[in-house]
Amino acid sequence: MSAVAEKVSTKRNMLTALREALDEEMARNPDLLLMGEDIGLLGGAFGVTIGLMEKYGRDRVYDMPISEAAIVGVGVGAALNGKTVCVEMQFIDFISCGFDQIVNMLATYHYRTAGEVEMPVIIRGPAGAYGGGALYHSQMNEAWFAHSPGLKVVCPSTPYDAKGLMKQALRDRNPVLFYEIKELYRLPQIEMELPAEDYTIPFGKASLRREGKDITFVTYGQNVYHCLQAADKLAEHGVEADVIDIRTLVPLDMDSILKSIAKTSRVVVVNEAPKTCGFAGEIVARITDEGFEYLDAPPVRVTRLDTPVPWVKPLESFVLPSVEKIVDAAQKVLKY
Amino acid sequence: MSPADGTATAEKKKSPRRTEQPAPLGPYSAKLTRDQCLELLEHLYLARYFDVRLIKEKKRGRLRGTLYSSHNQEAVLVGSLYGLLPTDWISPIHRDMPAFFLKDARSGLRNPQRIGMTIQEVCAQVWGKAPSPGRARDNWSHIGSKKNRIIHSTSMLAGTIPAAAGVALADRLNGGNCVVLTYNGEGSTAQGVFHEGINFAAVHKLPVVTLIENNQWAYGTPTELEYSLEDFARRADGYGIPGLIADGQNVFDVYDKVMTAVEHSRSGKGPSIVECKTFRAYGHGDHDDDRAAKYRPTPEVEAGRRRDPIAVCKRILVEHGMLTATQAEEFPAEGKGASEVRDEDFPPDVVAYMKEGVDFAIAAPLPEAAEGGMWVFREGDSR
Repeated sequence: MSAVAEKVSTKRNMLTALREALDEEMARNPDLLLMGEDIGLLGGAFGVTIGLMEKYGRDRVYDMPISEAAIVGVGVGAALNGKTVCVEMQFIDFISCGFDQIVNMLATYHYRTAGEVEMPVIIRGPAGAYGGGALYHSQMNEAWFAHSPGLKVVCPSTPYDAKGLMKQALRDRNPVLFYEIKELYRLPQIEMELPAEDYTIPFGKASLRREGKDITFVTYGQNVYHCLQAADKLAEHGVEADVIDIRTLVPLDMDSILKSIAKTSRVVVVNEAPKTCGFAGEIVARITDEGFEYLDAPPVRVTRLDTPVPWVKPLESFVLPSVEKIVDAAQKVLKY
Repeated sequence: MSPADGTATAEKKKSPRRTEQPAPLGPYSAKLTRDQCLELLEHLYLARYFDVRLIKEKKRGRLRGTLYSSHNQEAVLVGSLYGLLPTDWISPIHRDMPAFFLKDARSGLRNPQRIGMTIQEVCAQVWGKAPSPGRARDNWSHIGSKKNRIIHSTSMLAGTIPAAAGVALADRLNGGNCVVLTYNGEGSTAQGVFHEGINFAAVHKLPVVTLIENNQWAYGTPTELEYSLEDFARRADGYGIPGLIADGQNVFDVYDKVMTAVEHSRSGKGPSIVECKTFRAYGHGDHDDDRAAKYRPTPEVEAGRRRDPIAVCKRILVEHGMLTATQAEEFPAEGKGASEVRDEDFPPDVVAYMKEGVDFAIAAPLPEAAEGGMWVFREGDSR
């Protein structure tokens, strides 16, 4: 995947990488506005936008009322009139309050105007479970938007990818839903050095995070790390796994997935969203549509149970994918 | 029947005590020239003729899709649009179809430079033909134009108010001084996004005028089941912004109230709500006319149709000496339903203008089938 940086500076966590991406693009594009709840004076609930209002002023960075529909809608209007707007959902769970404006107003704008109007509106926000956030601070609702034609959907797992994909999103001519995994924001183990120079990562290019020959894991977000750990455990038994981090759901890099499965013939798809109609199911369907002849075993999903995300640890762990669940699934696929 | 008010007969029968006093012209109407006043009447004819012509086309089986009649509500559209500059933005909804070609009509209906749609474009949209501004991808009023400064609506009502605020915000950042006028039925005022959009506009003093076409019925639901105010305009108090009430049958009163709101916005004082009290003459859509006859009390419907905006306009023009009684009788379109009114009841140029649109639409091709799969995403290089 990434070219290693030539000029190295200090290591960055994902949160800092995202802030740098916003900062650099704000400097590059004077028509880029930031809008969200508490993103200015406070710098965001998690601090992604700290310092940006001071640097770019209140005409560029807007502390919005608690009005998710209006936040998206104002972004649509500003984009109609020439601006690029990056909207923060304070938690991605709250996006449901702005749902109509996203799926009916924003997503369809280019389509229903036969290409007259482009909609560079980026909606980003902290997502994902495993932190005890309970029902309304833990969701992964990316499937709603992958299911809505006209939206691109992104979910990075490393600081390098987060910065490069965010910069790409802010330069895209289409609406982008950008899922930031909040458990990864400050995770020290994934801090990395980033290139000093400007870089972007194109959408629709998966990242092969580990190379094997016996089984393929397809995943994204923080489940990448669960899959890498599961791959380590399997390696103790002589099984080597490919771990594919798709990075963007829409567009989806099926070529990389099929190439891996052509080699391994076995696949486990892992994500932390509910199983029914989740994006893991979509990946499995695409694999059976386009790569059935490669398979020696049925593709298997490891997902959240079809439940909300409960609060306390034993309950939360019960419903979410884990390293153990992934290893178990892999062993079943290997034995098939 | 009063020669100046073609619908006065019914009014006199039903409420003999009430006689219309000569309506004094408001501060902005009083400044209009005679030609401008006559132009307002012409625009009322245009809006009415567009509506009745489409109803006839539909009954002849020449049109697909639902029609949402603006009959009896034309003064709201005509009076409000007349108060805008060419560079202002609007967001019409389903009952506002004539707004697309009446925007910036003051610059000349056939003026290719004007910042509004041509009748050809609007008719191509109604007929679902390729030259529609949206290439017939969504139906009826779901068109717009960035170039002509018309926000594209969806079926989710009040949904364009936040977009209007965003357009206004961007315009201000770009150094402009545009006003954005959004059209809404009173039914959509109960939507959460209505509140969110106006609240944001009020916080930032954005030049957004929210016009409420209060036609008393949200599809099959009367106003008392929609909100708990006598005058909806009072809702503005909650946002700390002006709330104005206009007689929606009187094009001059609509013009005055909208101009008041527009000038308030243009001077940097922020948004307003203008409630135009009117009445929906027919069903929600043409599919609903028969049912509407059952769910709406007949006396209410008769009373609501009694003050035809064309008749009200003519009466005022006669009272103010801008039209003779004989001239007012020349094209008696007022007080007639689509099945009764004839082309001869309209000025010839109104009929001719619509014919240009209809002929164009009928001759225009359908879009290529493969266009159904196009334009989901903007292709090409990132910016």
